[in-house]
Amino acid sequence: MALSDKQLMQKKIQACEFTLTDVILYLDSHPNCPDGLEYYRKHKAMLEKAVADYEKTYGPLTAMGVCDDEKKWTWATTAFPWERSEN
Amino acid sequence: MWKYQKLLEHPVNIKNPDPALAKLIITQLGGPDGELGASLRYLSQRYSAPCREVQGILTDIGTEELGHMEMISAIVFQLTRDLSEKEIREGGFDAYFVDHTTGIYPVAATGVPFSASIFQSTGDAIADLSEDLAAEQKARLTYDNLLRLIDDPDVREPIKFLREREVVHFQRFGEGLRMVQDMLDSKNFYAFNPSFDK
Repeated sequence: MALSDKQLMQKKIQACEFTLTDVILYLDSHPNCPDGLEYYRKHKAMLEKAVADYEKTYGPLTAMGVCDDEKKWTWATTAFPWERSEN
Repeated sequence: MWKYQKLLEHPVNIKNPDPALAKLIITQLGGPDGELGASLRYLSQRYSAPCREVQGILTDIGTEELGHMEMISAIVFQLTRDLSEKEIREGGFDAYFVDHTTGIYPVAATGVPFSASIFQSTGDAIADLSEDLAAEQKARLTYDNLLRLIDDPDVREPIKFLREREVVHFQRFGEGLRMVQDMLDSKNFYAFNPSFDK
């Protein structure tokens, strides 16, 4: 089944986050590795952009991610991720 | 998913170790009304909450409780630093010390290890939220009892913060319960499981 635009954007965020989770574990035991640090910086920037793009269209991913121009509190009125159609 | 932030919710800076006090305060980590049980209770119950507002309340309070677990652990950690053998024995910390040295392990003040049997997740929002209201009161009174026994202002201050959060959470859960009750109709006046019996 083809992924929706929302699912594609979620996938991008999940990929960036998982990449960061993994490189963070690596850097914990290799804190002086310049390649690791560069890889971390690159994916952190990618993640920040992907999260900002997603939140503008589909609502907040964290309670700190409610967009500035929202008229109401969208954190607790948009779906939670355990609903089947939401991920 | 969750992310860790390297900052306590509220500062903990205790100058004087006090193993006897650590033995009491650790109950708010692993005891029957402690922060670990609170967090697991709310984060388990949220899936069957019948509306997003209550899902949100349970998610956010369950998350804050993880931060409280960290604060209690930090208090116990600081109260048990640099202890001499004499202090361990005289502070009544010897039994804990034999099993855990000065590691942080979730037990009640009585020494009973943490157990999930101290909470429920019933799949019934009214039952769950009623338990949550009671849980916040029980945690609040445990902090009140601790404050009766604590003189050190360095320890009183973060404990007073945690006590106040129990009061706020009680208010929020009260609002959540009212929301769920407002969703009931004449066919379910006696509030039989609004999560399951749609």
